[in-house]
Amino acid sequence: MNGVFFVMMFSSLVMTIFVSPSQAFPAMIDGASGAIALSLKLCAIYAIWLSVLDIMNKVGMSKALGRACSPLTRKLFKGEDGETLDLITLNFTANFLGMGGAATPLGIKAMERMQDGTPRATDNMILFLVINATSIQLIPATVVGLRAAAGSASPGDIILPSLLATSVATVVGVAIVKALSAKKTRKKPSPPAPLKGARFE
Amino acid sequence: MRALSEFFLPVFIIAVLAIGFFCRVNVYDSFVTGAREGVKLVLSVFPYICAVLIATELFSVSGMSAALTDLLAPLFRFLGIPEQLCELVIVRPLSGNGSLAVLEKLIAEYGADSYIARCGSVIVGASETVFYVCTVYVSTTKVHKLRYALPVSLFCTLLGAVVSCLLCTLM
Repeated sequence: MNGVFFVMMFSSLVMTIFVSPSQAFPAMIDGASGAIALSLKLCAIYAIWLSVLDIMNKVGMSKALGRACSPLTRKLFKGEDGETLDLITLNFTANFLGMGGAATPLGIKAMERMQDGTPRATDNMILFLVINATSIQLIPATVVGLRAAAGSASPGDIILPSLLATSVATVVGVAIVKALSAKKTRKKPSPPAPLKGARFE
Repeated sequence: MRALSEFFLPVFIIAVLAIGFFCRVNVYDSFVTGAREGVKLVLSVFPYICAVLIATELFSVSGMSAALTDLLAPLFRFLGIPEQLCELVIVRPLSGNGSLAVLEKLIAEYGADSYIARCGSVIVGASETVFYVCTVYVSTTKVHKLRYALPVSLFCTLLGAVVSCLLCTLM
């Protein structure tokens, strides 16, 4: 992230020196004010969803949902404990239903539980990031709304292609991450059973 | 479809609230706790959002994103992504609001049911703000080496865009 950030900032700032030096500082302030506005909105959204999550946790709904999906999540996220898998399931469900605001705090909690104490992201964390970054939304409500507002004859006709495209992206993403992490495991000196070993880490 | 998703949220929250209340959960306490945790979470996430948004704002204002668009246009054309959608494909992983603004512009310019606007809608609907996700999700962890997470996510987002354009010609 450090490298990407440096390249973006440096190249943009150099560019503004040639194009419009007076815009550089206002643009940075705009960015920061945008972050403040967004954070205030996120604070409101998190407050509501974390409250709903708290109730769901207390009545055992999140556990029930997590258990229902555990055959899949357990296979994808080898070595994670039950509570982490519950959080992952909830994050995916919220994303799937288009509740991005609800998904984020759950995802952050899941990521906290998946780290291994080192500054390097674990394979499971990367898998989780890639699945989230490729979107798994069932109905892109914002886009459908935009189209409806613009007077589209059938605003919803993008739902199916969106779902197909996002599925392809997510499935390929999972496959690449699995291939990359398997390659790394095979290259290791040779612990007797690498995957089982990982489970007890 | 739209009406259904509009009902879903309030019905879901009513269900959770009612189940909680009848299972003797103190729902008032839950909301106080949730709000408190929300503030804490935003405080830890804000610095990261701020840094990313400063960079993305500069990136678009400076004309770097336009330059990158020009640079990548031949590659995108080769992959079957129409020229008019290049900007959208570049902006999409960087900024959620930015890509919605670009999409709105496309819809206004070409009409909501045109191929370009439909393609653009599918591209936005089938992807995420990759940089935002990768920043916010690791913000409270000790991790700062994402290894191959970013390249794989970006590659898959591009793949999604290619598939979107292909599907829109067929469907």
